[in-house]
Amino acid sequence: MNPSEFPEWTRNAKALLDVSAQSLDAATLSRLNRARQSALAQRHRRAGWWLPAGLVSACMLLLAVGIWQKRAPEHPATSSSASSNAMANFQPDDLQMVSGEDSLDLYQNLDFYAWLDAQQSEGDG
Amino acid sequence: MTQHVDVAKADERALDEFLKQVERRGLRMAELGTGNREDALDLVQDAMFGFVRHYAHKPAAEWAPLFYRVLDNRLNDWHRRTRVRSRLSSVFGHRDGKVEDDEIARAPDPNDPGPLRRLAGDRATQALDRALQRLPMRQRQTFLLRVWEGFDVASTARTMRCSEGSVKTHLSRALTALRRELEDHV
Repeated sequence: MNPSEFPEWTRNAKALLDVSAQSLDAATLSRLNRARQSALAQRHRRAGWWLPAGLVSACMLLLAVGIWQKRAPEHPATSSSASSNAMANFQPDDLQMVSGEDSLDLYQNLDFYAWLDAQQSEGDG
Repeated sequence: MTQHVDVAKADERALDEFLKQVERRGLRMAELGTGNREDALDLVQDAMFGFVRHYAHKPAAEWAPLFYRVLDNRLNDWHRRTRVRSRLSSVFGHRDGKVEDDEIARAPDPNDPGPLRRLAGDRATQALDRALQRLPMRQRQTFLLRVWEGFDVASTARTMRCSEGSVKTHLSRALTALRRELEDHV
């Protein structure tokens, strides 16, 4: 503020206002102090609430991406109907294979077992 | 990480210091606007909460106008509520209950300079308070922000959400009215 900008008497008015603000009673100052502390504490509470929420959201996002990548086909579908293609390619045998009690090893080594069976049949014959 | 914590603590200290600087002046402004300290304290507390919630992340150089803008909004809301309440009171003839007798409020204040000095010093302050309270709200806020806070015209206009021309008009009228009222005191 330029001091010459205002009439001389405003300096006295300003000084009186300064004194009145500096000479507040103890009870008022105490309440102002509590108000200030509460306002600042509110900032912590907000930060304290957002941080865990943000971390949980980030973890869930990572988990979802991880699961999606694991389940996605090696050659991703070019169209947006990837999920419907996956359903169309799904065979009932697949379900039987997954839900059956036989070990998955059996299915993975099916050629070997077929060859073994053939060898045994030749031996018997 | 440690550096980040240090920066956060420095921000916290700066914010605390800033609020310490403005809280007393803010209270006096609110008191002049409402005419009573209880409401003024509530308004300043609300203003601190609003300021910290919405503007604490802004650069420190912008804090003062933003704090007073929040306080100005709270004062406007208070005046609107008061107007509505007084209209309702006049319609329904409702009278507020008596203020409870407060032991703490009646206790002697250790900062009290004593009756004689208080009388001399208080006369001018009381005259100034009365004159400021009689001003229309916008004129009073303009005077306090421009003359007491030392804001320039542009900052005052931003704080009060009005044009720079309005600030000049309000201030001119406020100075004329105050000069007339305070001729014998300041």
